[in-house]
Amino acid sequence: MATPVVMPRQGNTVESCILTQWFVKKGDKVKEGDLLFAYETDKAAFEEEAKVSGTILEIFFNEGDDIPVLTNVCVIGEEGEDITPFIPGGASVKEPEEEKKTEAVTEETTREIQAQPAAAAPNADDGRILISPRAKNLADKIGADIRFATPTGPEGRIIERDIRKLQQEGYLVTSAAKEAYLNLDQPVPGTGLGGRVTTADLSSPAVAAVSAGKAETIQKPEAEAAIADYEEVKLSNIRKVIAKAMHESLSQMAQLTLNISFDATEILSLRQKLKANAEKLGLANITLNDILIYAVSRILPSHKDLNAHFMGDTIKYFRNVHMGVAVDTERGLMVPTLFNANLKSLNQIAMETKELANACRKGTISPDLLKGGTFTITNLGVYGIESFTPVINPPQTAILGVNTTEQKFREKDGVIEPYMSMSLSLTFDHRAVDGAPAARFLKDLKEALENFSVLLAK
Amino acid sequence: MVDVIYDLIVIGGGPGGYLAAERAGHEGLSVLLFEKRALGGVCLNEGCIPSKALLNSAKIADYAKHGSKYGVNCENVSIDHRAVVKRKDKVVKTLVAGVSMKMKKNKVTVVNGEAVIQGRSADGFVVKAGDNEYVSKRLVIATGSVPSMPPIPGLHEGYRNGFVLTNREILDITEVPEKLVIIGGGVIGLEMASYFNSAGSSVTVIEMLDHIAGPTDREISTILLNNYRKKGVDFRLSAKVTEITGSEVIFETGEGRRSVPADKVLVSIGRRPFTEGLGLEKIGVETERGRIKTDEYMQTNIPGVYAVGDVNGISMLAHTAYREAEVCINNILGKRDKMRYNAIPSVIYTNPEVGCVGETEESAKEKGLDVEIVKLPLTYSGRYVAENTELDGIVKVIMNKKYRTLAGVHMIGSYASEIIFGAAAMIESEMRVEDIREIVFPHPTVGEVLKEIMWEL
Repeated sequence: MATPVVMPRQGNTVESCILTQWFVKKGDKVKEGDLLFAYETDKAAFEEEAKVSGTILEIFFNEGDDIPVLTNVCVIGEEGEDITPFIPGGASVKEPEEEKKTEAVTEETTREIQAQPAAAAPNADDGRILISPRAKNLADKIGADIRFATPTGPEGRIIERDIRKLQQEGYLVTSAAKEAYLNLDQPVPGTGLGGRVTTADLSSPAVAAVSAGKAETIQKPEAEAAIADYEEVKLSNIRKVIAKAMHESLSQMAQLTLNISFDATEILSLRQKLKANAEKLGLANITLNDILIYAVSRILPSHKDLNAHFMGDTIKYFRNVHMGVAVDTERGLMVPTLFNANLKSLNQIAMETKELANACRKGTISPDLLKGGTFTITNLGVYGIESFTPVINPPQTAILGVNTTEQKFREKDGVIEPYMSMSLSLTFDHRAVDGAPAARFLKDLKEALENFSVLLAK
Repeated sequence: MVDVIYDLIVIGGGPGGYLAAERAGHEGLSVLLFEKRALGGVCLNEGCIPSKALLNSAKIADYAKHGSKYGVNCENVSIDHRAVVKRKDKVVKTLVAGVSMKMKKNKVTVVNGEAVIQGRSADGFVVKAGDNEYVSKRLVIATGSVPSMPPIPGLHEGYRNGFVLTNREILDITEVPEKLVIIGGGVIGLEMASYFNSAGSSVTVIEMLDHIAGPTDREISTILLNNYRKKGVDFRLSAKVTEITGSEVIFETGEGRRSVPADKVLVSIGRRPFTEGLGLEKIGVETERGRIKTDEYMQTNIPGVYAVGDVNGISMLAHTAYREAEVCINNILGKRDKMRYNAIPSVIYTNPEVGCVGETEESAKEKGLDVEIVKLPLTYSGRYVAENTELDGIVKVIMNKKYRTLAGVHMIGSYASEIIFGAAAMIESEMRVEDIREIVFPHPTVGEVLKEIMWEL
């Protein structure tokens, strides 16, 4: 019987997905488990496998089409079977009830598929790498380092072809080097046969890294000169989304940035204390960023203009703080949301922020968690940035940039004393907020951070 | 003036040069190759290949002479040296033509002439040959090496009047010298000793060190020495040649001054990189005692200028040059590839043959590696026993104890030259002893001892 394949629903708020690539064409024979097409939501990429074997009878959409979820994308069945009932839009043939049934079935199947990797995937070292048993077998056989694999399977799962790609790229380990290699914290580049990591690479990771870098810097320009002066790469959809959002942000808002610095002595010493006692008290690793999130989420409710969505004709003021936390990932910038941050303890904030960031880096983040922020914090302090102009995530009205800490000096009763200072850069939308209220928010935030223990006591 | 700017100019058409040109041409680069003599270089024209033609004739003669040991009686066995040389020339000609064809197939322009680097222009490096100038964005220098000619009194005069020979001349002499003295007991000296011993010369090898075959595993080289002593080659070890007169070679040993009479003298004390008159200084290429310094991507200190093969003086073997050429071209093409020298096999085509790869017992000790050393007589191989009467061949494995991988494999005996690549592959891929045990070897072969010895570890 002919079976339609629908655009899966990835998360409850995702209404449509962009079909990015077809792996099959009309008339192809497919087996259960073959990849049919790749698709992306705003911020995550997935692939759809065939759930039945048969022939691709019809394809309804092209690459690049934005397809509503649960819409029929293609039909698999026996040659000669009638596909007209499955034509999207032409669904008038079908009874509405029947359609509902299909939907329900699809949901179930999707859930099954999602459950499968977790159950079937043998746990990697950190228990978090999702990999199909077939891919795992192949990786073991050829000595491929699955940590290098870019998952292209559904739900960020590594599938066989990801391992094949690794093999082509040479991320292999010799059998002698394998055990020690897998225990390394940092993968080292291989310089052996076919790019395999050898025991020699293990004993001199630093040397290997340096010479690899050298190959990069000296050989690359030379190499490119031989072929072309540049490499032209098509934008990923994630990049396109970022590009569009950032450009809209700057072209449609009236953004400006205020900078302020504060005495970070208290939060630095608190962080030290927390760190020292983390184990004893069962606390997460609480970072300065977590402390910032805590403070901002406590101060924001009394500055509602900054915890809002500017909708053009209206403004939505939020009762709770849903904190967007900018995360740098290999795919690009991602901003997961820490919902109701103002109601969470510092330890909770630390734990949940870390989980969100990890999920983003692994590509397993639910699209629902990439929406709904009411304010955003972005931290470039680790890179030593002293001040910058963060770009607002529309329709939010403000974003706080966190900068590095640096030693400053002040005069107090005729004595010059050094202290650690940290600076903050607040970009706000002047359409929604005026300068003075924004400045007042920063002043309150500064006071709160300089007297953080008082804030904690509240 | 120049209407073509090449992607690559290769100077020298030996194994390193022609392979670099071939690979680059295959990848679509426009390539110009200079060779001042004949394509194929020393290896093909006056080294590896012609000597193999000679040695095979010697081997056939040896079998025939000692055929009775195998129940085959031959009488009046002799080597017709002129016929051997003639056949050798034919072999060389066939193979040189083959290299020519490869160049043509890969659209490499070959210029017969001596190339001199002139300097740089806006378009790249300028190279002159004859009256013509050529320009290229990159250079691969593959000018190879020449025999070292030590300042021994009488040596240069002897070379001029044909009494003293190098590997080039000795392959073309038409008469077998009655008394041949070979200065230097390395690979070239031993192979020539082997042939001329079989061809009827009375051969004396004078070697400065207390052993032959250079860095070859000492146990192996001792077996080889004993074999050739048995065949009648006279070895004078720890002996320093002090003078060459018109009819004899004078040398000093611990026992004093000695001399051996000679009809011809072969000088084979080693080879040195050839860079004279190449114009390297015009573009500032760094050299060190005549060799061009390269990094592990075969690049010199000047970006865009590479050096492969003997001219960089690292491992003067044709197959090293091949691999260096590949690494060089891969890096030019932007494929990451790094030169590894830890599994380069070396072979001596004497009878018995010697095949070695990796660390020797001596070098492992010197480097302080934690190794286990085992050896087996080749009599563990059924085929070896069935086919030989002298049964002194051995295989020796140096195992890295930390990973249980092979650090070195050394063999002396029949087919060792053809077996050793397998050991090199095991070292390159870092197979563990346990992995090798799983490999199926054909039976009965001599190579099987490699599997057999894994059960000694």
